[in-house]
Amino acid sequence: MAQQSLTSGSLSANEAKQIAKLNRKKSDRSRLRRSLSLYWLLIPGLILILIFHYTPMYGLVIGFKKYNIFAGANPFDAIAKSPWVGLANWSKLWVQSKFRQAVANTFIISAMKIVIGFPIPIILALMINEVRNTALKRTLQTVMYLPHFMSWVVVGALFMNILGTTGIVNAIIVACGGEVQKFFMDNNWFRWVLLLTSVWKESGWGTIVYLAAITSIDPALYEAARIDRANRLQLIWHVTLPGIAGTVVMMLILRLGGIMDAGFSQILVMYNSTVYKSGDIIGTYVYREGLGKLNWSQGTLVGMFNSIINMVLVLSGNIISRKLTERSIW
Amino acid sequence: MIMAKKKNNSSFALTRGEKIFEAVNAVILILLGMLMLFPFLNTLAKSFSGDTAILTGQVLLWPVDFQTGTYKYVLREPQFWNSLKVSTFNTIVGTAGSMIVTCLTAYPLSKTWIYGRKPLMLVFVFCMLFSGGMVPSYLLMRSLNLINTIWVLILPGMLSIYNMILMKNFFEEIPEAIEESAQLDGAGSLRTLVSIVLPMSLPAMATIGLFYAVGYWDNYMSGLMYITDPKLRSLQQYLYVLVTEAVTVNENMSMDALENAALNSEAIRAATIMLACVPIMCVYPFLQKYFVKGMRVGSVKG
Repeated sequence: MAQQSLTSGSLSANEAKQIAKLNRKKSDRSRLRRSLSLYWLLIPGLILILIFHYTPMYGLVIGFKKYNIFAGANPFDAIAKSPWVGLANWSKLWVQSKFRQAVANTFIISAMKIVIGFPIPIILALMINEVRNTALKRTLQTVMYLPHFMSWVVVGALFMNILGTTGIVNAIIVACGGEVQKFFMDNNWFRWVLLLTSVWKESGWGTIVYLAAITSIDPALYEAARIDRANRLQLIWHVTLPGIAGTVVMMLILRLGGIMDAGFSQILVMYNSTVYKSGDIIGTYVYREGLGKLNWSQGTLVGMFNSIINMVLVLSGNIISRKLTERSIW
Repeated sequence: MIMAKKKNNSSFALTRGEKIFEAVNAVILILLGMLMLFPFLNTLAKSFSGDTAILTGQVLLWPVDFQTGTYKYVLREPQFWNSLKVSTFNTIVGTAGSMIVTCLTAYPLSKTWIYGRKPLMLVFVFCMLFSGGMVPSYLLMRSLNLINTIWVLILPGMLSIYNMILMKNFFEEIPEAIEESAQLDGAGSLRTLVSIVLPMSLPAMATIGLFYAVGYWDNYMSGLMYITDPKLRSLQQYLYVLVTEAVTVNENMSMDALENAALNSEAIRAATIMLACVPIMCVYPFLQKYFVKGMRVGSVKG
């Protein structure tokens, strides 16, 4: 009996295997057919990134050439016709104090934004989550998300109004017996202005991710803690915060990956030659050197330096995120 | 039973400590919210205020020496209308184009069974990781004769990889059985996308459409890099010139000249800022419920 059932069992397993194999063959064919019917939808997107993302990557060779924009029929044709100079542009780059200053500023400004700016959305999200009046909660969210949608030009202009020599902040300083501060032209102040404006613009928006993470915390945990007579602060500390810890870690890693962009479009609006010392970053340096002074090779090279470090940071951040939290951006 | 009763009590009635906690929390948040709104309100008040009141720092939240001359001045400025036209065109045409390309690209990539999904994704994701940078991009635009054309403000950013991945994540949530039934009826992949998938992804479309529209409307970098023709200046670039010129004026002028220059420029600048903000402020609150939901599905992804 046992033997019989065993053989019949193995038989049916064999059969099942064969059927599955046939099915797979059939489904492989239909899978290929269905794949083919979808590929052509990718064409417009592929053409766009081929032209506007991959072609400029070829332009990076300018960094190793003595580039003459008029050497060919058009600036791109000229790339191939310009002579190679190897690493000569590199060695010229490193001796420039302005470049080294831009690199240093990039890291300093990014570090300030991470150390002070990163925790703020978390605290805000925890506070917003404690509001039980839904109308108030919604209004707060609407107000706090709004600055994110403003361009840096608008934000820059808004804060020039407030922090300018005729602005309200200086009026208060003077009323308290202080001296008028030129926030946008003072190397001691400028980085703090950058920090303040970026916190103002992005903190509210930054809460979305954390608020979403909070909603996925199991309500039973709160009930259990309440039965243990935990008060609200203890609930936040022992339930909510551990519940979003994974998201916090992931966001921090992503943020660290973005360290090379200290706020190019922000600084381009707000800075001026008096605050290059404290506010000139790699992006603005490339913009002035490359597009402003037409120093093509140098500009390309600095851009490449930036891009490579950026890629390494983002990739390693993503790997760490995948290891630690089993989540990644793609 | 007793426990259940207690639990009920605790979730209905707040203790005194909790009441204080909630009140303090709400007050702090309201203050923060007002702080967030303050720059807008202050600038709005300034745009309606008299010059002397602005220069002496009297304007807080309410206009002092009320006037509307600044708005009349800005609205009479032909360059303002021209820039408004450029920005509107960019935003409408750009967003439409972006949505088409984004949906077309995201749909095939949302199919886990499609052959070559990984390498295809890599081709797109690599663009997020690495770029040729500003200078090669500029040289490319020059080679393509796109400098000083409106298309240079639209085409390079038409496909945002980030938005495309968000869209792809949305599409993955749609049960495939629904699509299969359409395909059994003989619908091709494009028709399935347009008539089945897209109508089911309206919140996602609203979210990503808003991101694109805001991106086009707020973009001033492309203009700075690729546009020198004043006729093609977007509203943001127009504002940028207004703002940065004000700073350079301050820097090089004597105290007297500085005050004269600021006399007119500050209220006018304020009026222009407010006018540039209006479209976003009008659209954004209506789309909020979509993008909050949208960010939830799209960003927190396993």
